[in-house]
Amino acid sequence: MKNLANSGNPRLDSEFISPCASISMSSNRADDSSTDDDAASQTTEDDPQVPEPPAPVAAAAPTAGPSITASREKPNYELRHTIRGHTMSISAVKFSPDGTLLASCGAEKMVKIWSPFTGELIRNLNGHTQGLSDIAWSSDSVYLASASDDTTIRIWEVDSGLTQKHLKGHTKWVFCLNYNTMSNLLVSGGCDGDVRIWNTATGKCMKTLHAHLDFVTAVNFNRDATLIVSCSLDGLIRIWNTSDGQCLKTLAEGHDAICQHVQFSPNSKYILSTAHDSAIRLWDYQTTRCLKTYTGHINAKYCISACFSVTGGKWIVAGSEDNKTYIWDLQTREIVQVLEGHTDVVVAVATHPFQNMLATGSIESDLTIRIWSDRPET
Amino acid sequence: MNESLISPFNITHPTTVQTSLFALASFARFDPTGRYVATARVDGTAAIWDLDTRAAVRVLDGHVKAVSNLDWSRHSRYVLTASKDWNVVVWDLASSCVPAQRCATLRFDAPVVSAAFHPRNSHIILALMSTGEAYLIDQRKAHRARIELCEQQEESDDEGAGSSTRTRSAITVARFDPSGKHIFMGTSGGYILVFNTRTKTMVARHKITGAGAIKGLEFTKTGRQLVSNSADRTLRQFTVPMYPSPTTDGAYIEQELEPTHRFNDPINRTAWHAMSYSPDGEWLAGGAADTATHKIYIWDISNEGQFANALDGGREPLLHLHWHPFKSSIASTTNQGNILIWHCPHPERWGAFAGGFEELDENVEYEEREDEFDIEDEADMIRRKMKEEEEEVDIDTIPEAAKPRDVQLHGVQAGDEDVAWADEEPDDDVQDWKMRVIMEEDWDI
Repeated sequence: MKNLANSGNPRLDSEFISPCASISMSSNRADDSSTDDDAASQTTEDDPQVPEPPAPVAAAAPTAGPSITASREKPNYELRHTIRGHTMSISAVKFSPDGTLLASCGAEKMVKIWSPFTGELIRNLNGHTQGLSDIAWSSDSVYLASASDDTTIRIWEVDSGLTQKHLKGHTKWVFCLNYNTMSNLLVSGGCDGDVRIWNTATGKCMKTLHAHLDFVTAVNFNRDATLIVSCSLDGLIRIWNTSDGQCLKTLAEGHDAICQHVQFSPNSKYILSTAHDSAIRLWDYQTTRCLKTYTGHINAKYCISACFSVTGGKWIVAGSEDNKTYIWDLQTREIVQVLEGHTDVVVAVATHPFQNMLATGSIESDLTIRIWSDRPET
Repeated sequence: MNESLISPFNITHPTTVQTSLFALASFARFDPTGRYVATARVDGTAAIWDLDTRAAVRVLDGHVKAVSNLDWSRHSRYVLTASKDWNVVVWDLASSCVPAQRCATLRFDAPVVSAAFHPRNSHIILALMSTGEAYLIDQRKAHRARIELCEQQEESDDEGAGSSTRTRSAITVARFDPSGKHIFMGTSGGYILVFNTRTKTMVARHKITGAGAIKGLEFTKTGRQLVSNSADRTLRQFTVPMYPSPTTDGAYIEQELEPTHRFNDPINRTAWHAMSYSPDGEWLAGGAADTATHKIYIWDISNEGQFANALDGGREPLLHLHWHPFKSSIASTTNQGNILIWHCPHPERWGAFAGGFEELDENVEYEEREDEFDIEDEADMIRRKMKEEEEEVDIDTIPEAAKPRDVQLHGVQAGDEDVAWADEEPDDDVQDWKMRVIMEEDWDI
C-alpha cells in the first residue's frame, strides 16, 4: 500500500472501479423458466464408475516449494453418489451445520434437501416464483434461507418445509446470503449493489448498505459477526462494520481480477476470494496483503465458489470451468487432487462440517450433484 | 474482532447515543456476554433484547407487581427477576417455549428489592427484602438452605441494656463481590458489612463516616475497587481490603474504610441513581438523579478520579445505567422507559472505500524512495511473490485473545476453598450455549 499524501477526502471516482461489461453472469438465472417438470425426474443412482486415481501433482503446480512438499499427505476423495434431480442449472450446494443434510438450489424455483449419505431426495422447498442463486443454513440446522430472483428471501423451517419468513426489500435479484453464527442476523447481497442486514426473528430489514456499483456476488459474516465482507462485479472486496454499517476497508486486485466469491477463514483472520483471472487468493485483510494464490483451474466467466476444507488436511477446494474440481494444499499451494466426473462447469462446492466429504454441483448439460468422500470406512 | 480495523486510538468512554430502545423499562442490564440487554418493567414483566438486532427476543412474564431487580447468571443462560410481589423467579433462556416458562420460583414474606446470582453458581441466590433483611438461598442438594444474614452485635459486657435497645439497622443494599467469596451489604446506618458466602458469618464491618444510609454498591470487574452511593449524595470509591478466612469464634474486623476518591456534584448537589465502572475499571459513570435532564457523569479513575465528561441524554430524566461488560458502551434508562445505548462513534473514513488508499491527518512531503519506480524484472517479481507465499498461514485456530478471558479476581488464590465450595454441584450454564432464535411476528410488548 502506498502512502499517498492525499489529505482530506481521497477521490472516489470511477477510475478505481474497473468496468465489467464483458462479464457474463453464471447462467443459472434463466429468466423465462417455463418448463418445470421437476417432481417426475428425481432419480438418484450410485455412480457405477470407479473413482479416478488422483491426478498427478507435482507437475501441475509450477509454484511448488522445493523441500516441504514431498512428504505431505494428499487427499484421496472418491465419488460416492451422483445425485440427479435438478432440471436446471445448480447454483449452490450447502451441507447443514450438523452434517445430516445437504441443500441445493438452482434456476428452478425450489430448494432441494438431500441426504448426503444415501443421496436420496428428502424434501423440496417450494414457494419462490423465480430461480434461486444462493442458500444458507442457520447454525442450528433448523432453518434455511434462500435468495431468489423474485427479489425476496425466504426462511424455511427445513423439517416442515414451510416458509417461516418472507423477507422483502431488495429491489432486484438477490444473489447471495449468509447467516451469522448466532443466526439472529442474515446478510444478503443483491444485483442492485446493495447489501442488506436482516433480523431473522422478525424478518425485517435492519440496514441497507449501498455497498457496490454492480452485482454483489458474495457476502459473509466473520466469526463473531462484527464484520461483513462483500464482493462485487465492480471488482472490489469491501469489509464493513456490522453494527453501524461503516466501510472499514476495500481490497482490490488488478483490473482483470474481478472477484466473485469471498468468505472469511474459519478463524476469521483471513479472507478467501476467487477471481476471474483464474486465481483464488487468501488475504490478510488487516494488512491488505495477499498471502497465497491458488492457480491451475479455469475461472474467467462464472461465479465459482471456493471453500476451506479443515476436516482432514487443510485444503482449498474450488470448481472450475474445465468441468473439474480442484483441491489445493493450503500451505504449499500445490494442486493435490483433481476430481473429474462432471460434464459441465462446476460452480458450486461445499465441504462437510466434520467429515471428509465434498459436494459439487454443475450447470446446464450436467445438472448433477456429486458427493465425494475421502478414506471410506467400508 | 473488528477493533483492529476500526480505530487504533480508542476513546474508551462512550460519548453519544447510538440507539434507543422503546422498552417501557424501569432499568436495563447488559448480560455478561454483552449480546443482550435485560429490561424490567413496572407491570411485572421483563424482556430480553438482542443488541445485534435491537429487538426483543424473549418476554418473561411472571410477576404481578413491578420487577425491582434482575440479574444474569455467569454465562447468561439464567435470568432472575425479583419483584415487589414477594417472589424471585429464575428463568432459563435455553428453553424456547413461548411464552417463556419459569424454571424456579422463590417465595419470601416481604417485597423483594434486590436479588442476585452467585457469580459462580446460579443455584446460590442472595435476596434482599424491603424490610431490610437479606437471605442467602442455596438450592444445591447438599447445601439446601435459606439463611438470613444477620449483623453480629457487639458483645456487651456491662451495658447490657444499651446494646439491646440499639435497633438493628436495616440492610439497604446487598451484593456479591465479583469472585462470590464475600457478600457486601450496606446498612441504613452507614456501615458496610462483609459476610463470607460459604460460612455465612460476618468477617468485617466498615464504618463509612459521614455517608448516611448506603444506597448502592458497585465493584470493578476484578473486585479490587468498590464504589458506594449514599444518602449524602456522594459516591465514594474504596480499595477493597483482603479479608482473612473466617475463624470459628466469630471474630470480625471492625475497621473504618477511608475512600480513595469522592465524587459529587459540587454545584447542584444532585443525588445519584446508579453508577457503573467501565470493564477495565478506568472510568466510572454516575447517573445523576436530576429531575429535568438525563445526565451521566464520567470520571477518569486512572487519572486520579478527575471529572472527564458529562453526557447529556436529553430531557427524560435518568433512572439507571449500566456499563457494557467489555465494550465502550452504556445502557441508560429514562423515566419514560426508553433505553439509551451509548457508544463511542468512529469517524467515517472515506479512504476505506478506495483500495490501496490511506488517509493522512495532515499533508506530508512525499519523498520518493530511490528504487521506487524502478522496473523490476518480471521473473524476479514472480519469484519474490512465490517466496513470500511460502509463509505458513493458520486458518482455523481461534486466537487466544479473541476468547473471553477470566480476569484475575481480587483475593482469589488457586485452590481457594470458597471457590471450590461454590463450584460444587455446578449449574448447566456452560460457556458456549446459544440462545435459539424464535421466529415471532411481533413481540407483544
